[in-house]
Amino acid sequence: MAERAAADGRRSSRVASAWLVAALAVSAVPILYLASVSFMTQGEVAAGRLFPAHPTLAHWTGAVAGPVPRAIANSLVVSVVSAAVTLVLALPAAWAIVRHRTGGRLLAGTFLAPWLLPPIVAIVPLFVLLRVLGLNNTLTGLTLLYAIMNVGLAVWLLEGFVRRLPVELEEAARLDGAGELGVLARIVAPLAGPALVAVGVILVILSYNEYLFAAFVTQSDQSRTVPVVISLMLSERVQDFGKVAAASLMGAIPPLAIAGLLQRKLVEGLTSGAVK
Amino acid sequence: MTDLKARRRRSGARWVRRGFVAPTVLVTVVLGLYPLVFIVGAAVTESSLGKPFQDFVGADQITAAAADAGVVGSLVRGTVYALVVAAASTLFGTATALALWRSAFAGSAARIILLLPLALPPVVVGVLWRLIFTPNGGLLDTIRRMIAPGTEPIAILSDPVLAIVGIAVADVWEWTPLITILVFAALLGIDREVMEAASLDGAHGLRLLREVAVPAVLGTIAATFVIRLILALKIFDLVDVMTKGGPGEATTVPAWLVWKAAIEQFDVGRGAAITLLLAVVVSLLTLPPILIARRSHG
Repeated sequence: MAERAAADGRRSSRVASAWLVAALAVSAVPILYLASVSFMTQGEVAAGRLFPAHPTLAHWTGAVAGPVPRAIANSLVVSVVSAAVTLVLALPAAWAIVRHRTGGRLLAGTFLAPWLLPPIVAIVPLFVLLRVLGLNNTLTGLTLLYAIMNVGLAVWLLEGFVRRLPVELEEAARLDGAGELGVLARIVAPLAGPALVAVGVILVILSYNEYLFAAFVTQSDQSRTVPVVISLMLSERVQDFGKVAAASLMGAIPPLAIAGLLQRKLVEGLTSGAVK
Repeated sequence: MTDLKARRRRSGARWVRRGFVAPTVLVTVVLGLYPLVFIVGAAVTESSLGKPFQDFVGADQITAAAADAGVVGSLVRGTVYALVVAAASTLFGTATALALWRSAFAGSAARIILLLPLALPPVVVGVLWRLIFTPNGGLLDTIRRMIAPGTEPIAILSDPVLAIVGIAVADVWEWTPLITILVFAALLGIDREVMEAASLDGAHGLRLLREVAVPAVLGTIAATFVIRLILALKIFDLVDVMTKGGPGEATTVPAWLVWKAAIEQFDVGRGAAITLLLAVVVSLLTLPPILIARRSHG
């Protein structure tokens, strides 16, 4: 193995490989432990075991019958719809800012500012706003909130991609008489397809995992999302760790699957903002 | 005539582009300006969740919050926590990025495993580490029983000193992959010839990394540190799931304190006053590095 080349083209380093193996273990062991606990009875957890001696499926069947599947559906709908809306709002803005400096320095310097402060800052004012709109305690309200919450981040991430698109195609379309909307819809949007997927993956995971606003906005059984359902399980008087572990893992399957299957896209999206 | 038409078309195009950025402007106003005005309003009035802006009290609540030992303690705690967590994440993330870059094991399987903590919902991260730190039967406790049987179990999350360390460990675990990925991407952008030239000059191993690779990506490392600092200053989910701010006030970070004041005690005015103080602290901590970075980029 040591003869194989590393990413920088030179010989693989043993120290680097050792560190990497340790990092992989640190990354994976806690998740594997959670999986192991989800097959343990309460007695086995208390006895301090790493693996269940008599694996039980009870927690998983319990989780399937409990509120988690409904919560997964809620979270998926909210995160996918809100991500789509965010992208529709963010791509035209990213393009106008990159190509034409629309909005000038004021917009370029402020659109990310709301992201700097803890979201708790905005929760009471936004809750009042949702109540005025009659959207509190609805999934529509939460979807709307996520859609607008992530616009700044999406514009920032998309800027890097849009800057790298060839400007020649846009100029050619303009010579053919295309207006701003035509250039955006027929040239920029199709070219930005991969970027939209990359940024979309990040937006879906962020919204799926969001807890603070979800806990505040969705307070009925029908509208709760995965993080809210799991946190509610923690406030039950008798703590059954196996049960909580199974529900947590089940609820985490969608974002973990997305990260696993679309790893390349996710990395591409994450790096576009910082490396531009 | 054609000149006029062209000018009209250009001005029309400008308005279309203004339409393109309009939603972003609106969102910035709704998420930035509106909460700011609301919070300033609530901070200078007696406000509850149901009835904001009752009686004008001037700066009373703000000065009261600034003089409150609990509030000041929480702001100091949050600041130290964020700086330590950001530094630790940046250090581990950069080291892992360098390892990914210099090892042949760095395939897509390795990258997926490294990314998992980042994809996990923070609430689940909290559950996971609460389980690991459980004094009777948690992973840490199990390891203690194997290594040192007969010793007393350590209840990390109910210890006034160790509780915040436990949260920091979970936080670093969750967000370090972001830094690894960003720094690794920057390392891949280094010109191979630069590295080859340096290694022909006799630089090897750690020296090559320290003198050539790390300086080449220092800008990215600094940027990820700032991003990580901002994320750490916002910490809420892990505290809510792991300790609820306790024991005592040992893990009462600013965001948790605002939540407690505004949501649990219904005193939105006090919550807003604390929020304003927190906003000042966050600005003081994050603006200098952002401005320096912007200036050095020209």
